[in-house]
Amino acid sequence: MSIIQQHTQATLSDAWRTINIDALDPDSSVNFDVSSLSTPQPEISEADARQIAAQVRQLIRGGDPEGALRGALENPVYNGPELAKDTHLQTVIEVLQSIKASEMTPMLQRIYGTPGGPECLDVLMKYLYKGMASTSGSSHGGASSSARGTPTPRNMTPQATGFSQIGAGRPGAGGESTGGAMSVLLSWHEKVVDVAGLGCIGRVMTDFRRV
Amino acid sequence: MSQSLRPYLQAVRSSLTAALCLSNFASQTAERHNVPEVEARTSPEVLLTPLTVARNENERVLIEPSINSIRISIKIKQADEIEHILVHKFTRFLTQRAESFFILRRKPIKGYDISFLITNFHTEEMLKHKLVDFIIQFMEEVDKEISEMKLFLNARARFVAESFLTPFD
Repeated sequence: MSIIQQHTQATLSDAWRTINIDALDPDSSVNFDVSSLSTPQPEISEADARQIAAQVRQLIRGGDPEGALRGALENPVYNGPELAKDTHLQTVIEVLQSIKASEMTPMLQRIYGTPGGPECLDVLMKYLYKGMASTSGSSHGGASSSARGTPTPRNMTPQATGFSQIGAGRPGAGGESTGGAMSVLLSWHEKVVDVAGLGCIGRVMTDFRRV
Repeated sequence: MSQSLRPYLQAVRSSLTAALCLSNFASQTAERHNVPEVEARTSPEVLLTPLTVARNENERVLIEPSINSIRISIKIKQADEIEHILVHKFTRFLTQRAESFFILRRKPIKGYDISFLITNFHTEEMLKHKLVDFIIQFMEEVDKEISEMKLFLNARARFVAESFLTPFD
């Protein structure tokens, strides 16, 4: 026997079967308020993010990359519009790219040793993962990244012959630049894990304050 | 191993090791059920921040951790259309035999080529570092396998074309 007593136009279609009735129950676990897991964060507007970016750039130009890195990591954008978050991500990546590979580990160790340093490295880890997740290579914003918006198989040559591997190993100049940005992030990732340990990644995963 | 592949695999390895901390967790919506929370998505508080490790746009790993399960999705390098087809056939071959792989997911996540689902029952039965090694080894092997298959395919195509066109010579 059907559970539907009266057939109407709405019950004849089976769209109602796909309704998730748990979502309509306020006591259901689906409706758990995740924002209650962390303290409310101050909202940072895009203008604020730009101001931080300007200060950080000034520090880089002034020859103080460590101060720039700290400045960028002590003001993470947890609560704010997408644009502010992206602006701050760009700022952090800019700082990371300006630091030489040989200076990475000593600098991280110095930051880790100072009070509030481990938290800074957690924030750095968050931005490393965010930077790798932003697919279009936003670290190199501008015409080149927007032009490469299409996925790979479409902008490849239709006829791949035996010699296509020569071309395949070396994607266009655009792909090269994102690969370069990613390799910066990957080497930073390795160094941060060396200094701050795996707990750093664990804290990125379990922290509900997301950048 | 190439120079840029090593940090990539190292980052995946450390992320996976950190993410594989699973415990038994019964479903909060259905009584006496125990489902992978990362698939069911019924309790937002047990779903942790997803981590992406990328080498470039075409090679990415997405790790979605939760309290009792993690989902690992791999995007395999596809430089051209032949590789695209080969990767598709190869992953299809594997996913059709998902039962014998235990941790393989039957269907990849959108945007990725192959997905693994590790639950707390897997980590109870198997060694964690071996599971991580398995994923890393898979990632190493699959690139090699695909480029090898491509070379075979091209050699074969050249041979076939030659013998086909010989009578017209």
